[in-house]
Amino acid sequence: MALLEVNNITKSFGGLCALRDFSIEVEKGEIVALIGPNGAGKTTAFNVISGYYHPDSGKVIFNQKDISNLRPDQICSFGLARTFQIARPFQGISVLDNIMVGAYAHTNNNKVAYENAMGILHFLKMDGIKDQMASRLPIASRKRLEIARALATEPSMILLDEAMAGLRPSETDEAIEIVRKISEKGIAVLLVEHVMKVVMSLAERVLVLHHGELIATGKPEDIVKNPQVIEAYLGESNVTS
Amino acid sequence: MGNMSTHSINNQNKLIQFLFGTWERTQLSISAGLLLLMVFSPLVIKSPYYIGVITLACLYAFIGISWNIISGFCGQLLIAHIIFIGLGGYTTIVLLNNYGISPWIGIPIGGFVSGIAGVVVALITVRYGLKLDYFALFTIALLVALRTLFLKWEFVGGAVGMYLRQETPSLNRMIFISKLPYLYIACSLLLFGIIIQYLTYKSKFGKYFIAIREDETAAAALGVNLTKYKTLAVMIGTALAGLGGGFYIIYVTYIDPTGIFNLGFNAEMVMASPIIGGLGSLVGPILGALVNKPIAEIIRANLAEARSGITMIVYGIFLISAVLFLPRGLAGLIQTLYYRWFHGITSTHQEGE
Repeated sequence: MALLEVNNITKSFGGLCALRDFSIEVEKGEIVALIGPNGAGKTTAFNVISGYYHPDSGKVIFNQKDISNLRPDQICSFGLARTFQIARPFQGISVLDNIMVGAYAHTNNNKVAYENAMGILHFLKMDGIKDQMASRLPIASRKRLEIARALATEPSMILLDEAMAGLRPSETDEAIEIVRKISEKGIAVLLVEHVMKVVMSLAERVLVLHHGELIATGKPEDIVKNPQVIEAYLGESNVTS
Repeated sequence: MGNMSTHSINNQNKLIQFLFGTWERTQLSISAGLLLLMVFSPLVIKSPYYIGVITLACLYAFIGISWNIISGFCGQLLIAHIIFIGLGGYTTIVLLNNYGISPWIGIPIGGFVSGIAGVVVALITVRYGLKLDYFALFTIALLVALRTLFLKWEFVGGAVGMYLRQETPSLNRMIFISKLPYLYIACSLLLFGIIIQYLTYKSKFGKYFIAIREDETAAAALGVNLTKYKTLAVMIGTALAGLGGGFYIIYVTYIDPTGIFNLGFNAEMVMASPIIGGLGSLVGPILGALVNKPIAEIIRANLAEARSGITMIVYGIFLISAVLFLPRGLAGLIQTLYYRWFHGITSTHQEGE
């Protein structure tokens, strides 16, 4: 059994069908990338999986449990965490407190939550900024805080929604390293990404969405040669460069 | 000689560190200091009138704390918070007048009743997805509805309201000749409020409240059950408000629907103190109450003879200026100063933390 199974999800908003008959599977510890042009339905897929939208039809199975109609907080407590495309830190509190909110997902004890949060801070090399107000963080740290909070909930799978958009190349490299380390811990990663460098270097499998439908799946090196994908998303220049 | 003085400086540093080491500690220290000031104020202030003002300031601080937990920590705009003060007050006085139950028991029951009412309000609003201004409007509508209900409800005195029966002073009925026992009861309430507020702030659910205030969507993604924790915040705050309401009625000896279910009074009693003091901070409601209540009282004492309504205008101008010039309240001002000066000096001692 795969860790996450999305079976034939359809989701419409009024007359617009954002996802049509969408199915994916993610195994334990796997890194899978979801790519596609703007408006392809990637974020909708994330929102359906993480409980922010309920599917019109189809099922989301996580860890052999049907989570299609659960609330986001319930899904989080089952071990499926997510980040947001636009980082949403809790502005008015410190980085440490932000992470502690995540760490309370599986404990009521202040000390345990504190120690878990400190562990995450250390794991992501954020020790130096733990007392800073989240509102003062630059974009790269915000994105990292987003990942840190999600990790603090002790997930077995994490959904990363463009965790590397807007980063400088050196920061992107660091972020890639982080995702790799997360995966080494046995946490499955499903990422939405536009930066092809990230997709190519991380993903074991790539899924391509276009107009709410999967048009291709496969290894990254095969995907970039797929004519349908090139036409829909990548464009010639991106592949050759 | 060096030895002795280093030793005492060390001790002094430790004390400063203990009291003002972090902003949180500093807020607690200021709260405790202000509370002690009120407890010992009768040593200097003899006039019963001024003792009365201090007692009410103390009560306003307590009620401010109750609102601060809901609106300051959790970000839920429960505008018509005075509903729960009214419910607590009515419960206490009905129990006393109609059933002869002592306020010492009646006030906690008032808190309990308000807490239950708070849970009902929270569940209804969350169930129908009322947020922010819609939630605020719902509570205002409820206030108007309750005022009408209580005006018609003869069992609780209808439009006339209910008076505390003046009987011989007794500890059991919480009736005293001197003003001092009231002051001490108000101070005990405030101490209780400060402790509850601090424990809430430090606990898991306190962190969750703040997460909900900052960003509901992100909080849900981190496992925060929004319904549960919003309801909990409202329950804690409204239960405290009920306690405050019970004591308020015993102290002023009178309650009527138009007086208590009243948005103007709500602004003065509930909202002004935390807003002037700094909404969401630990010390804000107390600082604010100590400014708010005396100023409201001074305005009333000096301008009541003039044209009717002028007191409200002057008080309104005062509130507007407070919001305009101190958007983060007095606590925000003190926090800025604290980080700029004091923390600069002690930051070398901070490394261990």
